[in-house]
Amino acid sequence: MAKNVLLVDDSSTMRKIVSRSLRQAGLDFGDIFEAGDGQEALDVLEKEAVDIVLSDINMPNMNGIEFLREKSGRDGIKDIPVFMISTETGDDIIGEAKSLGAVGALKKPFTPDKVNEVLGPFM
Amino acid sequence: MGDFSDIIPKVVDATVEIFTGMVMMEINQEGEPLTELGIINDSITGMVGLAGTHKGMLAVHFPNDLALAITTSFLGMDVEEINEDVQDAVGEIANMLGGNVKTLLTDKGYDIQLSLPSTISGEEYTFLADSDLQQIVIPFTAPAGTFYVELELEA
Repeated sequence: MAKNVLLVDDSSTMRKIVSRSLRQAGLDFGDIFEAGDGQEALDVLEKEAVDIVLSDINMPNMNGIEFLREKSGRDGIKDIPVFMISTETGDDIIGEAKSLGAVGALKKPFTPDKVNEVLGPFM
Repeated sequence: MGDFSDIIPKVVDATVEIFTGMVMMEINQEGEPLTELGIINDSITGMVGLAGTHKGMLAVHFPNDLALAITTSFLGMDVEEINEDVQDAVGEIANMLGGNVKTLLTDKGYDIQLSLPSTISGEEYTFLADSDLQQIVIPFTAPAGTFYVELELEA
């Protein structure tokens, strides 16, 4: 069954690029929802049937790490898998993200082939 | 050129990777790096601030026509004026380059945090570095013009 995806990034350009890359990667996905920061992402997760989240880290209002921390405390949504898509993929910040439940990370810039390689097993 | 000159070839590689892989535009680094750019005309600049053990700035300066071509290619839709889409695309390119620079500096033992990206644009402006920052400006050529990647970093 195709999975519904939530894209979380303060850049509308990057949300479009990720959405396009998912299509170009040939991945089987359902609806794509979008959010501009962590708080908006939490609101979408509480209302919509999202199967996987692809989230930036460096965002205003509520960043990706704060989003993971808040999400991990909410029973209805805490088990939805989150991938980090960010320019920041150092061991320290990705380690913190994984300790808060992130299941993987994709570094910007990326190609559709890389998207397929990293996200394919989860889609 | 300051003591971060060793990362410049990797900044060039990262810039080419971003353009070929995500903007879908072929670019080349051409010409000797500059120490300052001077007056910038009819352009848009994307930038991210660097803070932590060493303060600084990563900026990308695009002539307006090239910024429109980049955004059109980036988004896969026609863009004919400098608008929020162009600002967002230029800011995101600066953000991706800033992330690469942060990684390169972290590998050198620096502890760097990035600001959120921002943009400025205008008919004529000057981008001045603080006197305590080392500055290098790298020229690139693209099909629609020349653009510059500028790195300023505390010694």
